[in-house]
Amino acid sequence: MFNKILFATTGSPECDSAARVAFDMARQYGSKLTLFHVLGIPGKGDSNLVIDTRTGEEVDADAEYLEGVAEELRTTYANQLEALPGVEIEVAVGVPSREVLRIARAKDVDMIVLCGPSEGQQSGFYKRGVVGDNLRKVAKAARCPVLTVSRPSASFWGGFSNIVFATDFSKASESAFQFAKTVVKAVDGELHMFHCVDLSRFQSPIALTQDGIEAKLAESRRRLHHEYATQLGDFKRYTSEVWEGTPYVEIVKFARERQADLIVMAHHARDVDPDERPFGSTLEQVIVRASCPVVSVNRPDKLPQAAEA
Amino acid sequence: MPEGIYCNKRPITTEEELKALLSDTRGTKYYEEMLSLEVDREKLWATIQKTCKSRTKTWLDVCARCGLCADSCFLYLVNDCKPEQVPSYKIQSTLGEIVRRKGDVDNAFMRHAMEVAWSQCTCCNRCAMYCPHGIDMGVMMGYTRGLLYSQGFVPWELKIGAGMHRVYRAQMDVTTEDWVETCEWMAEEQQDDWPGLEIPVDKEDADIMYTCNAREPKHYPEDLAEAAILFHIAGENWTVPSEGWEQTSLSMFAGDWEACKLQVENVYAAIDRLKPKRVIGTECGHAHRATVIEGPFWAGRPDGQPPAPYIHYVQWVAEALREGKLKIDPAKRIKQPVTYQDSCNYIRNWGLAETAREILSYLVEPGYLIEMTPNKEHNYCCGGGGGFNGIGKFRPQRNKALLTKRDQILATGAKLVIAPCHNCWDAIRDLEEEYHIHIDWSFLKPLLLKMVIVPEHLKPKDEEEGDEE
Ligand code: SF4
Ligand code: SF4
Ligand code: SF4
Repeated sequence: MFNKILFATTGSPECDSAARVAFDMARQYGSKLTLFHVLGIPGKGDSNLVIDTRTGEEVDADAEYLEGVAEELRTTYANQLEALPGVEIEVAVGVPSREVLRIARAKDVDMIVLCGPSEGQQSGFYKRGVVGDNLRKVAKAARCPVLTVSRPSASFWGGFSNIVFATDFSKASESAFQFAKTVVKAVDGELHMFHCVDLSRFQSPIALTQDGIEAKLAESRRRLHHEYATQLGDFKRYTSEVWEGTPYVEIVKFARERQADLIVMAHHARDVDPDERPFGSTLEQVIVRASCPVVSVNRPDKLPQAAEA
Repeated sequence: MPEGIYCNKRPITTEEELKALLSDTRGTKYYEEMLSLEVDREKLWATIQKTCKSRTKTWLDVCARCGLCADSCFLYLVNDCKPEQVPSYKIQSTLGEIVRRKGDVDNAFMRHAMEVAWSQCTCCNRCAMYCPHGIDMGVMMGYTRGLLYSQGFVPWELKIGAGMHRVYRAQMDVTTEDWVETCEWMAEEQQDDWPGLEIPVDKEDADIMYTCNAREPKHYPEDLAEAAILFHIAGENWTVPSEGWEQTSLSMFAGDWEACKLQVENVYAAIDRLKPKRVIGTECGHAHRATVIEGPFWAGRPDGQPPAPYIHYVQWVAEALREGKLKIDPAKRIKQPVTYQDSCNYIRNWGLAETAREILSYLVEPGYLIEMTPNKEHNYCCGGGGGFNGIGKFRPQRNKALLTKRDQILATGAKLVIAPCHNCWDAIRDLEEEYHIHIDWSFLKPLLLKMVIVPEHLKPKDEEEGDEE
């Protein structure tokens, strides 16, 4: 289903759950896996110094250092690497989101796996807010699906069976739906289609009348059915539901209720002003809070082919 | 030892040599070897006789050592007014001495001169405005750097920087393929949000040819995307050259004149090849100095001009705002205390102080612009100019030099510093990291993008397909 997977890791324990998912997926689908580590962001002025992403220290990213970092990664993932031969290890210097996008494009990967920000991450560049930035930029610009794993409780790919697809009926959500549909058929799982009527977006108090809300709910139910359910053909193991509230809260609640092991949604490229809403978009909030992996799909370009699964 | 393996008089000419020098972490072996690098006295004197023009000789002679230039130099002020930091002292004790001794100087002298040339002067040319004879230490220090470079006495990072220009015609290892690929990538990445946006490569006879700083494709390609979006909004007919796109010159900071010439000729060749009506450079001060102000002389152009009119980014922005090619949403103007960092290289050395202010009049709500003191062409260097930012060996001196700008900014009370110069931007970022004064800093492009009114016909069509609530 995925020929090439890129796993972007810092090599730190925070990435362990993501690593498990990445390796499991690669094994399950016979994918070519690349481990990728951006070891430092460009440092001072025109110098050769970089700021090490883990320690926050200035380092000289010369060949020796790069090799050292690659070696460290090999040690960290020694067991997994032994079980899965042919994994490539790449290291680079630069702004993490940029370098992840650059290599994803160069290698034409079908899926990017990222480690999500978990609580208590205080070291190095996490403090500088690069991770939130990283997620946002990668999820927005990647041509392929981006899977983010923040919680150790995350189940592994092979075990996915309960997939929540959360939509806002945007064009990007249509791509996310195609992805969810393919995956749920491939793993023979259950699909839970969900929409949340965003109450916070109503400016006018008139719109907030109970009747108004109920009309919205009814309309959204109709859309879930017309725009998605009708595309499922013979596939019957799905449910659809519409709640109201603040989308990310409701999505996380819904996923918990359905014991989802994967959430699929779009990133909403356009409605986030990175400065005014740092880490504020629905997807990003879901990633931080969900107890399962979250896949974001923004474009139709690189969706998995069901036939290969 | 006359010449070392790492530290020698030979310029870097191949990728292998470059990598070898880079592998010498922080130039440890390089500086060790420098301790015993021999000075080729005859060659030094011969070079001086050939290249030391009458202006420099006159300046050295007419300097009255009156010290009127002292207070003009921020490095003098920030270093407790040490006499060694008086501009005229800095030049008389280095270049002046070499000339007086007809090149008969030793290794220790040269190492000292290197320290003065790269850690006590940023070639900001401010002193020239205050000397009654118009003596310009920045220019003379630039010349001194050339002499030092030719003898191998140049900071490690700058030897590498000049080498990069020689090998890649760019200050970083960005090849033609990397560059063209980055242009395609950025255009592709923006197409959802900006239907029809292109980054046309090698289009002939365009109205604008755009050149940039290799850091952009290397680490911050969104800067290129932002430039493309703004040209797109403004409806410009523009292009970038596949070769000759890199406008900066670390070789200028290094004093490697030959590399300067090679670099600028590469850009001029692109102009000759694509025949644009004019050329616009990115938000970089030294790039402008290298390619527009000094470049024509390195390239031996008789009229002292680049092959086509060549303007700095602030000139294009001011024009686009003035002519309504870019329109600012008044509601989005900056409404917090903001100040402007005058880049020596295009404000003092190219006279764009008022042009920059014109831009600010569109971007900043009246009353929120607080000028630094002094400002415009009297403003001080950011503290990291002339290569100072990048030299590890002189980092402590550089950090101290940042204090001037820090205090200037603090005195304005501004929370945002607009700095349309890569080097100034870096210096301000570093001073924030070093001294934590809680400021923000920005180039013009991201600010413009936040405030510009996007014409209806350029907006993506599918926008409202989604949630209509
Ligand atoms: S450079 Fe000018 S101001 Fe400075 S000491 Fe010489 S003559 Fe006086
Ligand atoms: S050019 Fe600038 S840094 Fe150099 S001596 Fe003059 S004022 Fe000082
Ligand atoms: S970095 Fe900026 S302020 Fe500093 S010398 Fe260069 S142009 Fe001037």
